[in-house]
Amino acid sequence: MLLIKLFMLSAFFISLHTLGVIILVFTNLMVCLLIFMLIYMYFRAKREKNQTNYKLISDLLVRKAVFYDGLMLPETLIPVTKRVKKLIDNKDFRNRLTDELVLAKKNITGTSAENIKHLYQQLNLEKYALQLLKSRYWHIKAKAIQELSLMELKEYEFELYPFANNKNELVRMEAQVALVQFNGFEGLLFLDDITYSVSEWQQIKLLQKLSNLPPLLISVDKWLRSSNTSVVIFALKLVRSYHRFELHDAVLQCLDHPDPIVRLQAINCFSEIYTDETSIHLISRFWREGLKHQLAIIKALQNIGSENDNPFLLTLLHNDNYEMKLFAARAIARSGKKGLASLNDYGTYDNKLNDIIIQVKGELAA
Amino acid sequence: MKILVAEDDELMLKMLEFRLRKDGHEVIVTHDGREALAKINELVPDLVITDIMMPFLSGLEIIGAVKKSYPNTMPVIIISGMGQESVVLEAFQLGADDYITKPFSPNELSVRVKRFDKAIIL
Repeated sequence: MLLIKLFMLSAFFISLHTLGVIILVFTNLMVCLLIFMLIYMYFRAKREKNQTNYKLISDLLVRKAVFYDGLMLPETLIPVTKRVKKLIDNKDFRNRLTDELVLAKKNITGTSAENIKHLYQQLNLEKYALQLLKSRYWHIKAKAIQELSLMELKEYEFELYPFANNKNELVRMEAQVALVQFNGFEGLLFLDDITYSVSEWQQIKLLQKLSNLPPLLISVDKWLRSSNTSVVIFALKLVRSYHRFELHDAVLQCLDHPDPIVRLQAINCFSEIYTDETSIHLISRFWREGLKHQLAIIKALQNIGSENDNPFLLTLLHNDNYEMKLFAARAIARSGKKGLASLNDYGTYDNKLNDIIIQVKGELAA
Repeated sequence: MKILVAEDDELMLKMLEFRLRKDGHEVIVTHDGREALAKINELVPDLVITDIMMPFLSGLEIIGAVKKSYPNTMPVIIISGMGQESVVLEAFQLGADDYITKPFSPNELSVRVKRFDKAIIL
């Protein structure tokens, strides 16, 4: 009996002791957590305060540059406080200021834009952009290239040139756009060396960038023979957009290219650059091609064909494909009076074809 | 001249405000289309400068509302981005009085605004 009582008493004290230990541990944990939260909140508040200050200083600096009235000679300095010069070493401030300068440069032209560039260089911000080009992260590289391009720092084109053939598509795109931004049509020389594909989207971007520049006769024919298919396609787009008639024969060779996309682009190109014999070349390749390319050839003939092509086109009026019939009828009708007359004489029991002929005549009359 | 500026880009808004104040104008700044329309009806500015792409209400909707409520008395200048030609045409159809394309020179904006100032004085 006494033993049982002793056992129960000791058990009671042990559980009391355990409870005490648990409470102590939790209290310590709570205190630690509280201290951690206070430190975290302190640094967060400090960081937020700093960010607000950085934003304020950056805004003021950008505004000062935009509306700076002083004479802008290369040696002129926009007045900058010692504090700002010191703050440039701070990564957060530098990033904030750079972002604001880039944003302002994007939206502003004229003297103000020149002032923004001047301030950017005065604060040696391009030094940091060049350092970022060595980053192992592609997005940092791409951002740095975009920054140098927007600031129109042509003096760094040699540093950017290798990135035009970078393994990362977005880095490549930024570098290619930058080279065109610096040198216009001559910036396209990266096409000589590029081994990666130039995406459809990138081709559109480059053409759009070039459309704002006065046309320049650069040597495109070597790109038409490039081993990089995307370069050939882009070159064909250039030939078409800028009406490079002298490259007719070089484009003709692209009609025999192994890649069907190149052949299609070449066919489309002939809608803009052509000679009296272009249609003969297109027709001679007609039956070697698939439906998509055949339709493209007839579409091209609508623009460049003559009455000499009508015997061939008349055979297509009985084709099973509706589009083929329609395009052929259009090409015949547009080839001249004789073409229209031959279409008129083409009375047929094929109701679909009769409808097409009526439609085409209506289009011509309109 | 009392000018209302509607622009969602904070930095651009500040720059426009600074330039116009420097030119001696009273400037009302708004950050989105809805705020702009409310301030137009409340403060009746002499000129509205608005970006096209803005939250809640676009610049085009602002032109429509201004030209309906204040025909011939409140000119509107629109700020458009590059490649927004079709939108600019639509803005003119709605009654916009002038436009300026980003990127633009603050001096150019200043001159365009002055044109409307003269018109009011005359």
